[in-house]
Amino acid sequence: MTQHKQRRLRQNLTGYAFVGPQLLFFAVFTIYPIFEGLRLSLYKSTAVENTFVGMQNYINLFQDPVFIRAMLNTLFLVVVITLGNLLLGLLISLAIFDKKPGYVSFVRSTFYLPVIVSTVVMAMVWKFLLNPANGLVNYYLGKATGKTVNLLGNANTVLWVIAFVTIVASVGTSIIMYIASINGISTEMLEAAKVDGASKLRVCTKIIIPLVRPTTLYLSVTTIISILKLFVIIQLLSDGGPNNASMTMMYYLYRNAFFYNKMYVASAVGMVMFALAVIIAIPQFISMRKEG
Amino acid sequence: MKKSNLGNRLKRADKLDLVVNILVFLMAVVNLFPFYYLLTNSVKNSAAIFKMPPDWWPKTFQYKNYVDLFKGQPAFRWALNSFVVALITTLLVVLCASLAAYGCSKLHFTGRGVVYAIFIGALMIPKEIFIVPLFRIITKFNLVDTYAGMILPNVASTFGVFLLKGFFDTVPDSIRESGKLDGAGEFTVFRKLVMPIVKPGIGALFILNFVNIWNDYLWQMLVARSKNMMTLMVGTASIMQEISPNYGYKMAGAAVASVPMLIIFICFQRYFTSGITMGAVKE
Repeated sequence: MTQHKQRRLRQNLTGYAFVGPQLLFFAVFTIYPIFEGLRLSLYKSTAVENTFVGMQNYINLFQDPVFIRAMLNTLFLVVVITLGNLLLGLLISLAIFDKKPGYVSFVRSTFYLPVIVSTVVMAMVWKFLLNPANGLVNYYLGKATGKTVNLLGNANTVLWVIAFVTIVASVGTSIIMYIASINGISTEMLEAAKVDGASKLRVCTKIIIPLVRPTTLYLSVTTIISILKLFVIIQLLSDGGPNNASMTMMYYLYRNAFFYNKMYVASAVGMVMFALAVIIAIPQFISMRKEG
Repeated sequence: MKKSNLGNRLKRADKLDLVVNILVFLMAVVNLFPFYYLLTNSVKNSAAIFKMPPDWWPKTFQYKNYVDLFKGQPAFRWALNSFVVALITTLLVVLCASLAAYGCSKLHFTGRGVVYAIFIGALMIPKEIFIVPLFRIITKFNLVDTYAGMILPNVASTFGVFLLKGFFDTVPDSIRESGKLDGAGEFTVFRKLVMPIVKPGIGALFILNFVNIWNDYLWQMLVARSKNMMTLMVGTASIMQEISPNYGYKMAGAAVASVPMLIIFICFQRYFTSGITMGAVKE
């Protein structure tokens, strides 16, 4: 009995020695910030005061029209970019998966290139292309419509532009995931369907799309989360403007924390976003736990 | 499909497939345009950049923009900073994640299920939403404007644990037991016997993580206070935000920031594809 206990203790010590380092980093830089963020969001701390205000920061937040705007803008981007990423990614993958490997690899690589060279560079190039003074896009649009066009300076178009640039900069991941997922489907099943005279359209809608559903779920969750934290493209393309037209929750958080020096407002936004991320991630969490 | 009656056999669905593929191919080519535009404009002079409609092929090649960039800005230093931060973060991530993944996959200890569940649960929570408390920690430890400040918070990412556990799970227990019979301790078994088997996983994690950190922006921007501590992405973005119409110079900055990743991508393409798909979905 004691021998058994001793063995058990040794096993536990070894186990924790292995997970220990990761657990330590995780505790300091992931767990602690959650609680610290929660604590900060319940205080009003400025240079002169540091008082417990309970939920007041949250109440103020939801009464701030700029924050409401930021939430609606974030929702808009979530819907447009997620749909764009998934539909475009699936369509392209379905179009190319049964073609020659060289072609598949060419298409996959060109779409993945913008993902790999960093959003900073992509945002810069698009900023130049969309520049009202000498940008190609605005120049040719202006020529075609006969009016001066400034897509980033127009409150009605700026979010669409941001959605478009984000899709271009991220759809490559969806394509890689979908192609891999389609390649995982047994070729016999696809061959059999072909022999039965099923058209490619039927094969795609009846066999492939239902079978790649786990990928669709994974991509939906990761895309939504990546839009929640979208930052570079907003900062470099529009800086949240014009007149808050492209303000998002993440950018509102950043502005309050590092521009207006209202860490307590930023912390409250962080907790709201944390709650959203948890809710969004639940389906994915469940499916991952089932696997492993 | 026989070639002789190809024309007759092109049913409506096949025609649709053809049309869609032509569109996809065109989009694929258009994807390359921003890079073409970036590189060609980085060698144009200011007059040529402002010319509308543009010269699709630069009439004059001048490398002045690149010379100005490296003379006027500590661009080499930025590249070095990016390299150091990405490399050390990645080494630490690989070390911590492989130990933890091995523990969660092969060792039996109380609370293993809970520990792994917490790691997985945190996968989807972006660290960006905690920049306020994270920045306070870094400030408290006096790590603002240091490499350590940029590196340490990123080691907390548990993606590596998740990715590598899948690899460790495929290693048969008999290998561990044979090592144990030879009298080797758990760490020796891990290092000598199991790690070599999961090398492909380590490779994928290494590359993915290196690229992620290289391309990371927000956190590095917050931590870097002095010009000399900026990473390439932060430095390039700061040039971009300067109020100056010197576009060729800005383009040169963007080109320098993108070239290292282009080279890595071309060399290690296989690892990217496997790494990205690996962690995510099993059929």
